[in-house]
Amino acid sequence: MGAAGKKEKTTKKKEAKDARGLTHEEAEERVMEEAPRARSEPEAPDGGGGGGSPVDSGSDYEDYSEDGDSDFELSEEDVESGEEGAAGSGSDQDDSEDGNSEEFELSEESESGESDSQEHKGFVKTSNKGKSIINHAQDDSGSEISESDQRAEESDSSEDEVPSRNTIGDVPLEWYKDEEHIGYDVKGKKIKKKERQDKLDSFLASADDSKNWRKIHDEYNDEVVELTKDETRLIRRMLKGKAPHAGFDPYPDYVDFFKWDDAKHPLSNAPEPKRRFIPSKWEAKKVAKYVRAIREGLIKLDKPKEEPRFYNLWGDDLNSKDRAGHLAYIPAPKPKLPGHEESYNPSLEYIPTQEEINSYELMYEEDRPKFIPRRYTSFKSVPAYENAVNESFERCMDLYMSYRAWKKRLNIDPESLKPKLPNRKDLKPYPVTCYLEYRGHEGAVVSISTEASGQWIASGSADGTVRIWEVETGRCCGVWSIGESVQCVSWSPLSELPILAVAAGQDVLLLNTGLGNEEDQKKIKDLLQVEISGTAGDSDEQPLVSWLQDDRHKHEAIRLRHFKTVTSVEWHRKGDYLSTVTPADILVVWYFMTMHLFDG
Amino acid sequence: MPKHYRPAGKKKEGNVAKYVTRSQAVKLLQVSLVTFRRLCILKGVFPREPKKKVKGNHHTYYHLKDILFVKHDPLLEKFREMRTYEKKLKKAQAKRNKDLYERLRTRKPTYTLDRLILERYPKFVDALRDLDDCLSMVHLFAALPALERENIEVKRIHNCRKLSHEWQAYIARTHKLRKVFISVKGIYYQAEVDGQKITWLTPHALQQVLPDDVDYSVMLTFLEFYETLLAFTNFKLYHSINVKYPPILDPQLEALAEELYALSRYLDANTRSSRASGSDQVEGQENEKQHDESDLRLAQLQHQLPHNEPGALMHLVEDAAGEDEDDEDTKDCKNLFKDMKFFLGREVPRESLLFVIPAFGGIVSWEGDGAPYREADQSITHQIVDRPTQGHIFLSREYVQPQWIYDCVNARVILPTEGYLVGRVPPPHLSPFVNNEAEGYVPEYAETIKRLQAAARNEVLPMPGTGKEDLEDPQRLLVEGIIDRAEAKEATEKKRKMETLKEQYHDELKMEIEGATYSSMINRNTESNAASGEAREESVPDLEQTAEDGANMAKIVMSRKKRRLLEAIEIGKKRKQANVDLLKERKKKNEADVLPPKNGLSGARRPRSQDEEARRRASLP
Repeated sequence: MGAAGKKEKTTKKKEAKDARGLTHEEAEERVMEEAPRARSEPEAPDGGGGGGSPVDSGSDYEDYSEDGDSDFELSEEDVESGEEGAAGSGSDQDDSEDGNSEEFELSEESESGESDSQEHKGFVKTSNKGKSIINHAQDDSGSEISESDQRAEESDSSEDEVPSRNTIGDVPLEWYKDEEHIGYDVKGKKIKKKERQDKLDSFLASADDSKNWRKIHDEYNDEVVELTKDETRLIRRMLKGKAPHAGFDPYPDYVDFFKWDDAKHPLSNAPEPKRRFIPSKWEAKKVAKYVRAIREGLIKLDKPKEEPRFYNLWGDDLNSKDRAGHLAYIPAPKPKLPGHEESYNPSLEYIPTQEEINSYELMYEEDRPKFIPRRYTSFKSVPAYENAVNESFERCMDLYMSYRAWKKRLNIDPESLKPKLPNRKDLKPYPVTCYLEYRGHEGAVVSISTEASGQWIASGSADGTVRIWEVETGRCCGVWSIGESVQCVSWSPLSELPILAVAAGQDVLLLNTGLGNEEDQKKIKDLLQVEISGTAGDSDEQPLVSWLQDDRHKHEAIRLRHFKTVTSVEWHRKGDYLSTVTPADILVVWYFMTMHLFDG
Repeated sequence: MPKHYRPAGKKKEGNVAKYVTRSQAVKLLQVSLVTFRRLCILKGVFPREPKKKVKGNHHTYYHLKDILFVKHDPLLEKFREMRTYEKKLKKAQAKRNKDLYERLRTRKPTYTLDRLILERYPKFVDALRDLDDCLSMVHLFAALPALERENIEVKRIHNCRKLSHEWQAYIARTHKLRKVFISVKGIYYQAEVDGQKITWLTPHALQQVLPDDVDYSVMLTFLEFYETLLAFTNFKLYHSINVKYPPILDPQLEALAEELYALSRYLDANTRSSRASGSDQVEGQENEKQHDESDLRLAQLQHQLPHNEPGALMHLVEDAAGEDEDDEDTKDCKNLFKDMKFFLGREVPRESLLFVIPAFGGIVSWEGDGAPYREADQSITHQIVDRPTQGHIFLSREYVQPQWIYDCVNARVILPTEGYLVGRVPPPHLSPFVNNEAEGYVPEYAETIKRLQAAARNEVLPMPGTGKEDLEDPQRLLVEGIIDRAEAKEATEKKRKMETLKEQYHDELKMEIEGATYSSMINRNTESNAASGEAREESVPDLEQTAEDGANMAKIVMSRKKRRLLEAIEIGKKRKQANVDLLKERKKKNEADVLPPKNGLSGARRPRSQDEEARRRASLP
């Protein structure tokens, strides 16, 4: 037992820590317990078939640790048996240590009781190993069996070679935090704390030392422990979740405790059931089902052949048919092609000045130009366009979201819209010089009207006269002074009744112009008679128009007095009706022949 | 009777019957909204606008026929199946039923989209027509990082990369690329396949950032369809040039992330061998056969030996066989960089140039493993560098910036390299997609390029102006016409001036004969001038007046609808003009900045100061 043993022990502790993620205290607790047993070992008498002397047991252990895995079973037993003895004899010594000693004794007994069936025990022991560690750490007063197992397990890791330096026992190390010592050795002397290396130094040392990764600081004893190769191997295995020793088989063959060979009577006397001899009906059914499915091609066992994904889809285009039965496909309009301003190196005049760019900010969002031309000195300096994806997306949205319709493109020459007006030259010949003048009016002529036969013109003037002219000669045939400025003159459209309607002031005069032959004159005279009593009406209300006989003129005339000024008078083309307009937006239509008011 | 009364038992008619809102559609199909979205994307169903929105303005309307079209699709059933499968799998896992779980996992229901593609694009041309978005998306995803959180798998990113390279290899091999434009957003390419102009955008090959406010599931659904579409398209295209698809690549080059180069070599090797075998059958002559076989062997050899010089081999077996089927444009593109050998510097964005240069007939190498030739190769004519200075310089080659390549490609002529040499600020890079004349503003450099083009053409054509090319190119004809007209105008102006001078001279002579003094003559002169000025003043406004009158008259006579339309057109024109004016103003200002008024027209100084200006601008945030 030398350094190796001690290391073994610390390894063990480390393992425990690693495996369980325990706190310091718990780990130390364990060490504390291990310590007394280790100490007791040297005096152990020979219990089982193990070595007779402490040295023997030690050498046994050495053996084990040397050749590691090969004779694991054996050495374990040896160590255990050694420990059994040790525990038994050491109990009196350890009385003072803690209350566990009694349990130790008990467990010993139970173990020795089992010692006849070695194999079995070994199995149980090892299988419990992992668990026992936990048990132990959590509660010291566990069941006796587990306690014993645990002890056995601990013995096999043989940490007990060198007693721990520190004897403070199971106390938190915090208690010694402010002290200069970390505890007491076996003789009761204080163990001084070592000088702490500062971090930088320790780091440098560690960087230099290639073996640093296997060095561990044991806080309990305040020393640095270096792990051996075997120990690291153990740790690795444990980290992987395997048993620490490579030779350990977690799943050994089952050895039946019951010996069938010598048995005289069977366990069960029941005959073998029939179903064990005949083929299963249900299996057959299932198989038949699968077979059928395969035959029918429902289940395909081999992978389908990879057909070429692309082929000559359009063939030779000869037998292609149009999209019959569908609505007409409207292809999307193509995107706008870029102009000079989109160039990476446009002409200088395409680049807006800074002021112009600033002025864009003041514009409405929709008026603002979306693209501001820029200039780059070289092709390679053109950066990625930041809106590339957005614009592509917008295009996609347009393609599937916007309405499509055929729109007639207005590509019209604006000149074609204007109607062709004839040139003035083309309108020739047209009168360009004055041929006749009809002189006689003193005021402005307001209205003229041509007689139906075209021989006469009547003109009404602002000086209050109405004249009739012969068209061809310009001779004035008659003058009537109305007294008021004439608004409108209008010939009756009937050539056999040359009656002139004159609107002046509030009156409309129907003048007999005295033209035409005698029969006509007679007819006219008959017509232009007004029965004063009949038409004026006897009602109280003011009539719209009063028909009066006018005697002021040498010819017969009828005066239609309106209640307002009359602006216009017009004949119906048959000559039976006559309408007058007054500024109150009233159109009055008269039936001339019987002098009746028709509409207001 | 209320206005919209429908007697019981009578069917709904009109918009109510034809259109359903989205929620109605979802209910009708009995799927979740997410599945509905996927179905719509995959089937290519989009909302349609009814004449009258029966349910209100805030709904999305689908045509009922479209929805029924989706309803009858087997994909809907497949999606349901997948949903139940997911449930089963989850249950097995939750119950720790390992056997069942494993068995289920091997039996995941899958679906293919090929039928859908054929349905949506009954003809190959239809697919090509709709390929723009597909290519842009696939190229974008090829540059995106995989993101577990958003379900963007590495596998798909790799697939996107592969597909995009296959496409590029085909385009480069068949010389179908037409235009390239480096923009801030990425690089735009335009190719012409089967008469379809296909434009796509590739992001700059840099780490893209994935924004959070994007629904990646939508994008991934689109991508799923696009990946399939592009794969089938590639298959068809490769098939058309007799190359096996999917291509088998040289693993060594693939490992070096040079898939494009590996692909192009694969294509070269394959097309040549197939072509050789094809001509075999036709000709059947002995020595011809031998020759072809040797070609084939060469090609195979080349395919097998990665470190041989493929460029030289390529030239060795350059075949004239398939050329006659190329159109004029393709020939143009094929021969642009014909006898040039390029080398890319380490700092140059490589992927784009490796695509563009071979597409226009050049040979290219780069710095790195697997490159066909080294930098020290004496036959290199151009080295592409993108750094301010170049240390070691071979005198036999020119050192140009990458923009030179792109500008040459767009102009279809070899531009002079002076402006693009190392360390200079290159001339502006202009978009090839803009019609300058229609836009109303022609940048200065565009005019320079046009002049160079004309010069190059004159060189090529012995008889300028009578070549058929002029007739073929109507745009050019138009441009020339414009130029002619401007010249004619100038000439007439000159003539008029001359005439007035002459008249004046005659008058003076006459007066001299009459014996008038000089001072009186001056007086008379001024008088007559004044008189004529007056006359002009009288006559000019008269003309203007009449013109304006005519316009106004026309406007008055127009119907209200047409008048509104005309006004709208005028507003649009004004806006356009305002943009052009702004550009012109800026240009004037820049020139004023660059040229201080004192040493006004010192031409030598000008480009340098312009460069400085450019630098200043570039350094602006």
